[in-house]
Order: sequence, then structure tokens, then C-alpha cells
Amino acid sequence: MASIKLYGIIFVVLSALTTAQFGIEAVLIDDAYWVALGIVLTISTVKAAAVAGWYMHLKEEPRALTYVALAGLLGIIALTAGAAYSVS
Amino acid sequence: MGDLPPKSTVKRWLVTTNHKDIGVLYILTSIFFLVVAGVLALLIRLQMLESGGTILGGGEYNQVVTAHGLLMVFWFLSPFAFGLANYLVPLQIGADDLAFPRLNAMSYWLYLFSGLAMVVAFFQGGTHEGGWTLYAPLNVPNFVPRIAEMGETTAVVGLALFVVSVTLGSVNFLTTIYRMRAEGLRMRDIPLFSMSILLTVWMMLFAFAALLAATILLGSDHMLGTHYFTDIHGGSMLWTHLFWFFGHPEVYIVFFPALGAMAEIIQTFSGRRIVGRKWFVIAMALVAIQSFIVWMHHMFLTAINLPIKTVFMVTTVGISLPFDLMVFALIYTMVKGRVRWKTPFLFAVGSLLIFILGGITGVFLGAIVLDYQFRGTYWVVAHFHYAMASSAVALVGAVYYWYPKMTGKMYNEFLGKAHFALAFVGFNLLYFPMFVAWESPRRVFDFQSGFSIWHQIATVGGFLFALSFLVMFYNLTKSLYSDRHVGDSPWAYVGSAEWATTSPPPLENFVGTPSFASGRLNFIGGAEADGGVAESEPATDGGVAASTATGGHDRHADHASWWPLLVSIGALLVVVGIGGQATSYVLWPFVFSLPFFVAFLGIQGARRDGRAAIHNLYLLLSILFFGGLLYVFSLHHGGLAEGFQNASMTFYLTLTGAVIGMYALVGMGYESFHVPEPELSEQWPFEGITNTKLGMWMFLGSDIILFGALIGSYVFIRIQYGWVDFLHDAAYTHKAVWPGLVNTYALLASSFTVVLALVYARRGSRRGTLGFLGLTFVGSALFLVNKSVEWTDLWLDQGWAYNTDIQGSVYYLTTGLHAAHVIVGMLILLFLIARAYTGAYWEEDEEAHSIEYFGLYWHFVDIVWLFLFPLFYIL
Repeated sequence: MASIKLYGIIFVVLSALTTAQFGIEAVLIDDAYWVALGIVLTISTVKAAAVAGWYMHLKEEPRALTYVALAGLLGIIALTAGAAYSVS
Repeated sequence: MGDLPPKSTVKRWLVTTNHKDIGVLYILTSIFFLVVAGVLALLIRLQMLESGGTILGGGEYNQVVTAHGLLMVFWFLSPFAFGLANYLVPLQIGADDLAFPRLNAMSYWLYLFSGLAMVVAFFQGGTHEGGWTLYAPLNVPNFVPRIAEMGETTAVVGLALFVVSVTLGSVNFLTTIYRMRAEGLRMRDIPLFSMSILLTVWMMLFAFAALLAATILLGSDHMLGTHYFTDIHGGSMLWTHLFWFFGHPEVYIVFFPALGAMAEIIQTFSGRRIVGRKWFVIAMALVAIQSFIVWMHHMFLTAINLPIKTVFMVTTVGISLPFDLMVFALIYTMVKGRVRWKTPFLFAVGSLLIFILGGITGVFLGAIVLDYQFRGTYWVVAHFHYAMASSAVALVGAVYYWYPKMTGKMYNEFLGKAHFALAFVGFNLLYFPMFVAWESPRRVFDFQSGFSIWHQIATVGGFLFALSFLVMFYNLTKSLYSDRHVGDSPWAYVGSAEWATTSPPPLENFVGTPSFASGRLNFIGGAEADGGVAESEPATDGGVAASTATGGHDRHADHASWWPLLVSIGALLVVVGIGGQATSYVLWPFVFSLPFFVAFLGIQGARRDGRAAIHNLYLLLSILFFGGLLYVFSLHHGGLAEGFQNASMTFYLTLTGAVIGMYALVGMGYESFHVPEPELSEQWPFEGITNTKLGMWMFLGSDIILFGALIGSYVFIRIQYGWVDFLHDAAYTHKAVWPGLVNTYALLASSFTVVLALVYARRGSRRGTLGFLGLTFVGSALFLVNKSVEWTDLWLDQGWAYNTDIQGSVYYLTTGLHAAHVIVGMLILLFLIARAYTGAYWEEDEEAHSIEYFGLYWHFVDIVWLFLFPLFYIL
């Protein structure tokens, strides 16, 4: 397990990134929607990876556990992308 | 409870968690549902004796066809296979049970009761009429008012309950096969039946989660009046995508166990190892993966575009290639071997022939142009019965094959062969004429008059096929009481570990610990295998044979528990009652059950850990909580007395079920039930963790699909609607960005505090553990309070409810399901806090794992929110 200090830093960073997302909504969403969308979702992905990596300890676990999660993620991306494209 | 009562007592079968007992229960129960669904099939065939029908009205026919399909696919075929899997997989891999015996028992009881709910649905004003594919929106109340009747909803919710059972089973089998293999048994060398089950449960884990998402949405459209499938922006397409993303893997979920059994039987009765075993396994794995990228071939006649149709035609034809390899491997094994025409072999070969025809006719349907012609005709009916019912034929062969192992007796060979002859002739007489009369329209009982003779022949075949099963029932029942005893292995050539133990096996499966470390099966601390032929090479697969010191020697494993049955009884009452609720009552039984949960924590906790202040506090809190809920209920229904007087009987039924469920879950949590992990086992690729942690991750893998499907549905609908306009057109005055932001902070903080609780538990700090668990609870409570403020503003002040528009439907349901996860987390937190208060977790490092497992769940809930926040509040 990582130290309490590291867990604390991660919490602060996650909170800061959340604030950044809120800020982007306030200043960018009306003028550059798609850019804002890309940035906001990228930040969410980074935050999720941090939670999974450190708080869920995936960094220290057998790599196969990460693959289990990624397999589920891949499946749902396939479904969503395929379904969305099918009626485009 | 620990020890099992004798098999001659009823109690034994109610409390057992042993995998062999549960395997037998699965097999017998699935045969019960085979009989029910089989009688429905015969009704269909009688109706089809002449065009226009004979005995059933239109609505009745629709119900019979729907229930036949659902019961056969979900409550007979797969559970029949998993009865065998329950019995055999631990034996084949050298384990003494499944990883989570109580969950295994719960899987079984939920399966049984969900099936009974399906049967009860017939008597609640009529069951579902929309076919086994449950195509929405045609079956939602907006379009077919009769469907608002109770039985319709019971069928949908019953299916959801079945999915819960399947998910628990999948997690259990995956954990068992990955973590409990005998020393030296590499993954690639596990027997083919177990390999087929492994791949099946992988598919089940992901595919059934998509079905669960679909049934949640459909149930919501039925009970709450949301607009998922009635919305004009792709609502009908959404159902077909979700259903077939599950539905096509389901074909292989049904067939794979049969394929594995077929391979084992053909090996045994050809007297040789399967030809190209490695490639056979690779081909199975390829099919399992490919099965998730072929679903749109079921949608060629919908509005999907031509490029995607072409892609899915290619993937569909592509999936037939690994099947070709497997079929040729089986045929070549027979050619190279010395075949002995015993009953199991006859069924295996018969099944192979049937499946080949089913597979080839399926390729026709995979071609876009041909599908335009064949879709909606009896070609499809004939094809999928040849494909899916072939697995029933193989599994019947498997029952004959393993019957001597399970009972210690040999069946009557003559009657077995007579059964095969009747079944094979009956099957083909039933289904082949449908290819000839393929232009008959599917799902209706009107057809061209020239086809009458073919349908009449099919009806004769149907009755012959049904008769053949009576021969089997007689044979197997009579043989059970015969004196045809068998030894460990009645067959001349076998290759897996179940044949190296007694028939039937002892409670712990083997005398001694099985090991393949020397290259063949040995028993450490027991006798040498007798008749066992090890297939494996003397090496491990890169992993280590892990030695764990979990105290397996100092305490005997427990095998009996009432709680799985009790939890499932609660679930049954909920399922059969919920369909009868008015919309304003649907959620109240669950809400009212929450204070009961808290009260039970106080009562059970005091019993288990000794009465402490925390238990008194919980009892007090539960009373206050219940009082608060009564107040809100009275506001919601114009007075307390009026609210309860206007509630239907089904409300009280559902409430009773929910309360029983809560009581049983608490009881299960507090039960002392010891399941030692194997001291010496092959665990690649999941070494260095516990079974429970792997199980939790497998569950989360499934939950990723569940939430992903809901988020994916949102994305799909929003793209159909017009991404940017979607929220602009929503019938609210302003977005709830601030509440979303605050809640994100709250959840992130609670993730942080739960990690700290684990850190302090491992340091042995009671104060730290309790303090941070408490803070986690406070964080989640803040989340819910903030959420209720947000919903109150949107719903009551701005007039934007879940049924106002499609935007409201996706917002309330998705964030509501997330909030439900938060509530479940809070209930678990209360349990952890009570246990920590009375000394658990921080006194022994081992038990601190419980906090870690909870943390995994909690962080996942946090991660889901990290995507809901931008998608529903910012963008």
C-alpha cells in the first residue's frame, strides 16, 4: 500500500481536476463545445485511472486484474460505438 | 451452521452449499422446467396442426410461444449444463468445492425462484406476449395496454432475477477455475468440459450484464413510465442493440458446455485424445471473443446502415471458421480412434450432426441478402432449434456419460439406445419439415395451406421427441435402484480427475490432495489415482503453486446454511409482487426495508458479537429512520392511513419480501461460515491475491458492463437526438451543475477516507478504522442529501420528472441506479462499522481484507460518478 501522504496528494489532485472540469464548463462550453467535451472527458478518464490505479491498488495487483476491467470496458465501447455508428 | 444433515432428509437439500448437491438440484430443477416448457411446445405443435390454429386464441398462443422460448433457453438449457458443471468442474480441476459455496447455493435458489415467478406470471392476468426476444417498444404499456397487467412485469423482473443468479454463478466459476486448480494443472490442460465452462462463464459475465441493463430499462418503462424504448430517437433500435449484444453470445453460452461434453465423450468412446487439442481450445476462445462482435446480424432488417451490415456479415461468416475447425477435430478424432457405440457417444455424434445442419443454415442467415428473404420465417425457427437444441441432445449424452459417476450405478444400455433412436428420429421429424415449409411466417399460426402436411409431420415428431424423454426418466430412475454398481471409472479410456475418485465422490471429493506436479495425477496424503490418466505435461504455466496459510487445517469447512434460501424467498416475493404496484408505490417497499436492515444489524450484531452501544444506537436509528419514512410516505400519499389503505395486497407482498431479504442478508453477513482456500493450488494468472478479491473484481467487470450499457444507451439516444440539442431541449430551466460538483467532491472524499480506514485497520488502530469508516458514511450521506435537494429542485420546482421527456428518463434512471449503488454501499458500511466497533478488522490483519473488498466496490461507484458528472451535469 502507498503512504497516507500519497493518498492525500491523489485526493487533492482529483479534487483540483474536478474543479478544472467545472471551470471549463463555465468558460469554454458555449464557445468551443467539442473542445470542451474532449478535455472534460479526458480529465474524467485520467481521474478514473488514478482511482483505479492507486485507491483500488491495481498498480500493485497482478496485471490480469487490470485486463478483467479492460475487457469489460472494451466490450461496452464496442457496443456503444457499434450501435452509434449503425444509425449514423 | 456447519455440518450437513444426511441426504435422506429434506433439510439437507434446503441448507446444502456443497457443489455436488447443488449440481443435482440444478439438473433436477432444469428437467422440471424442461417438462413445463416442453408441454408448452406441444401446445404450439397442436395449434400448428392446421392453419388458423386449433386450441389457443391469439393472445394465449403468444404467451405460450414466449414462455416456451424463455423457459427453454434460460431455465432449462443453461442450468442443465450448469448442473453438470457444478458437479464436475471442481472434480475435474482437483478442487473440493466452488470458491464461494453459499453464493453457489444462492445462485441455485434464485434460479429456481425466478423460474417459478415465470410460471406464476401466467396466473397474474397473463405472462409476457412479446416473444423470447422481448422486443420493445411493442410490449410496453403505452402501445399494448393489456401488457400493463401484472404478469407481464413479473416476467421481465423474473428474468432480471435470473440474471442476478447467473452473475453470481459466473463470478464463482471464474474464481474457482482460476484459483483452485490442483498443483501442476496448467490452464491450458484443464479438461475440455471445464475449459468450455470457463469460456462460457466469461461470456456470461459480460453478456448477461447487458441483458440486466436492458431488463432494468424495460422494467422501468413498464413500472415507472420512463421513455427509453418508446422514444422516437432510436428507442426501438436501442432494445435490439442491447438485447442482441447479449443474445448472440447467449447462443454460444448455451452451446459451449454441450461442446465440451461432446469432446469429452468422443474422446472416451474413440479411445484417444482429441486431435489438435490446442487448436480446439484456441478455436473455442476465438468464438467466445468473436461472439461479441456479431450481434447486428440479427438486425439486418432494421434501419442500420449498409456498411455496418457488411461488417457484421463478415464477422458472422468469420465466426463459422473456428467452428469448422472444432467440428473437423471431433470428426477426425473418431476417424483415428476405435469407436464404441455406447449411449453417450450416440448422443454426442447425433448432436454433432444436428449442430452441423444448424450451423450451415445459420450461415445463410448471416448473409444480408438471404437474410432479407429468410427473416421472420420458419427457416429461422428450424435453424435456431437445430443450433440450440443440439446442445440439449449433447447434454443428455453427458448425463448418461457421468450418471455412473454421480450415482455409482450404470444405466440400462438398451433403454439408453432406444432413447437415442426415438430422440434422434423425433428431433429431425420435428424440425426438418420446418426447412421444407420455411415460407410459413414465424410467430403466427396462419400459413399457406400447402404446408399443412409438413406442420403435421412436425407435430408427430414433437410428440415422439417428448416421448423419448420419458424413456430416459424411466431408465435413470430405475437404474438408481438397480444393483448395477460401478467402480471409480466404468469407461475404458478417461482423461480427467473425476474418474479417479469413488462413484459417487465423497463430500470433500478426494482422499488426499490431488496434484499433477509429477505429470500425472497423484494424491498427496492419499492413495495413488486409480484409473486416472493425466493429460498434462509436468510443468506449471508460468505461475507458482501457491501455498497459503489460511488455517485450513485447524477448522473443518462449513457446508450448510439457511441464508441463501431465505434471501431467495425474499427475492421471490418481491418479484411476484412488484408487477402489481401503482407507480407511486413501486419504490416504497424497498425504501421501507432500509430501516429494517439497520434494526437487524443491531439485533444480529448483538447476538454475534455481544451487545454493545453501537447495536443500541442502530436500533434507535432504525426507529427514527422508520418514523421519518412514514412521514414522507404520508406526504406522498395524502395521509398515512390513506396511503396504506390504498396500497394493494401486492405492495404488502413486496414489502414482506424486501424485509425478509434484508433480514437474511444481515444473517448471512453475520454467519460464521468457514471456507478455507486450498493450501496448494495453481493460481495463474491471479497469484498473490485472495479468492474474494478476484471474485470482487469479476463482479466489478460485470458491473462495468451494466453501467456501461446504461451510459452507452444515453450516448446512443443523445446521438440520435442530436448531441448538443439534447440538453437544450430538456424541459428544465437550468442544469444542476453545482450539486453535481459538490457530489463529486463528496464521493472523492469518501474514496479517500475508505482508503484511510484500510490503512488504519492494518495498523491496528480501532479509532482510526472506526473514524474513517464513519467519515466515509458521512460523505455518502452528504451525497444522498445533496442528491435529494437536486432532485427536489428539478422535479418539484422545475417540473422536470423522469417521465417528462427522454432526457428526464435517462437522467433520473442512470443517476438513480448510481444512487442505489451508493445506498447499498452505505448499508455495507453500517455493517463494517458495527463489526469494527466490536473488534473486527483492526485486531487481526487478515480480517481487514473486508474493508479492502468494500473499498473496491466503493471506488468503482466513485469512478462511475466521475463519468456521470461530465455527461449529465457539464456537457
